[in-house]
Amino acid sequence: MNKSLNIALASTVLIIFSACSSLQVTEESVSNQAVAGVTISSKSMATKAVLANAVVYFEYDKFTLTTKSIQALKGVVDLMSNNPKIILSLEGHADERGTREYNLALGQRRSEAVATYLIANGVKRSQLSAKS
Amino acid sequence: MKKIAIFILMFLPLICFGELFLEITKGSEDPFKVAIIPFEGSPGVSKKLNKVIRNDLSRTGEFDLLDASLLLPLIVEQGEINYRDWNLLGMDYLVTGNIIKTNSSIDVNYEIYDIRKKKKVRSSKVFGLPNQLRQLAHYTSDGIYESIAGIKGIASTKLLYVHDVKSNNLNTRYRLMLADSDGANEQTLLSSSEPIISPSWSPDGKKVAYVSFETGLAKVYIQNIATGQRDSVLSKNTQISSPSWSPDGKYLSLTLYQDGNAEIYILRLRDKTLTRITNQFAIDTESSWSPKGNKILFTSGRSGSAQIYELDLRRLNAKAKRLSFEGTYNAKASYLPNEEGIIFVHRSVSGLFHIALKYKKENFIRILTEAKMDESPSVAPNGNMVIYGITEGDQSMLAGFSLSGASFKLPASEGEVREPAWSNFLR
Repeated sequence: MNKSLNIALASTVLIIFSACSSLQVTEESVSNQAVAGVTISSKSMATKAVLANAVVYFEYDKFTLTTKSIQALKGVVDLMSNNPKIILSLEGHADERGTREYNLALGQRRSEAVATYLIANGVKRSQLSAKS
Repeated sequence: MKKIAIFILMFLPLICFGELFLEITKGSEDPFKVAIIPFEGSPGVSKKLNKVIRNDLSRTGEFDLLDASLLLPLIVEQGEINYRDWNLLGMDYLVTGNIIKTNSSIDVNYEIYDIRKKKKVRSSKVFGLPNQLRQLAHYTSDGIYESIAGIKGIASTKLLYVHDVKSNNLNTRYRLMLADSDGANEQTLLSSSEPIISPSWSPDGKKVAYVSFETGLAKVYIQNIATGQRDSVLSKNTQISSPSWSPDGKYLSLTLYQDGNAEIYILRLRDKTLTRITNQFAIDTESSWSPKGNKILFTSGRSGSAQIYELDLRRLNAKAKRLSFEGTYNAKASYLPNEEGIIFVHRSVSGLFHIALKYKKENFIRILTEAKMDESPSVAPNGNMVIYGITEGDQSMLAGFSLSGASFKLPASEGEVREPAWSNFLR
């Protein structure tokens, strides 16, 4: 882009109100803002295996564990205790409804709730990696 | 019957600009009646310039523009305005103008006449470069709007939004986009393989803040629009989200997850000092500054459901005041520019999400939209228009309305468009 031109035309807005009447007289220049785009290439994906039966469901808007979700987590506790080398990645999700930022926060609370349950039942903190 | 006729005039056909298609769906009920004599002087550019000016004014919903074909017998000669004839045509205002084009510039001169008062009310010049035709038209229509409606026009402002496009191999490409307020002149600010959410403008319109998941965690970045230079705002090993710029541009409010829960902090950009402003077992997020910069709105789950709260930043240890009481979900609020009310997302009894408005003086909310999944309202800097995300079928797109009752849509040609953010005045 033509930088010197950009600076010269940097929003020189000149508004002259004529003193005696209600006639408004103005002169202005259109400002010229340059735009530069950025591309982020794909991050390297860590190897991961998904425990298909370990999806823990929560009630709408809630982040407390239900009896049904505790049933699902009992299997995870056994698996983790028998395989201390496994690192478990917890991802909290919310459905599409509601606002994105509140759902992000809800997802984080849900993965924390699961982590708290697993640790209380003997899973080591070092085996867990929680993100929303 | 007369009002119905006006409504039909406002149903303009679909107009194609770039990737978003502006569609004016409804006009206001009591518009200004304005005759614009097409600006002449440069055959190559006058058609496009006139079209953009008319379209800008139509989109506000506040203007009923006289059909250009009815103007022929009334062409103005040498500044002689036949006020009586314009009055008989029912016009409130007349706009005339001309274009002066050279190899290196395009200038527009225009004048506005008040038909009832029988006098000229504005005489203006706008100077631009040959590649700035659309912005030249936007400046002109903003001047016309300001003279007639009495508040600043927003045609020359810009929009940020996120555009998600699925590619052939089913991977989604996330793009942070910048466009004119009518969806034209779309440009990519950031293209990423990981999600982007929550774009926010710096008050001077030169930078943007947003959340990118490129590292796997939510992190807030600030990017310079002109240079593309971008930096993560904090090098902390926690999720950082929901940025909102203070009106003076010196602070960014953020949501940090380092306390095991979403809490709101204010970051002083000069030296990266962090001040925590919420301390609650429940979720606190979606902060947004008041126009004067002395208060912050946010969403909190402290009552057991998502509700909107306001915190006074001038008072030490001030208690957050709850502002929303209707329904079990009210979130993502922002102030109107004069602080007379707030706009937010409201979940109705039937479980649908709408954009709602609550005036400070009223003890009830006004539901402003009718679709099922309306999200992310952003108010134009003149306080007169709101843009938001809607979902129609499987398609997400942008839609807008003016508080005078007009509405429009900006559907994308492909993919999903969401989370619009309206810039400040740039003119």
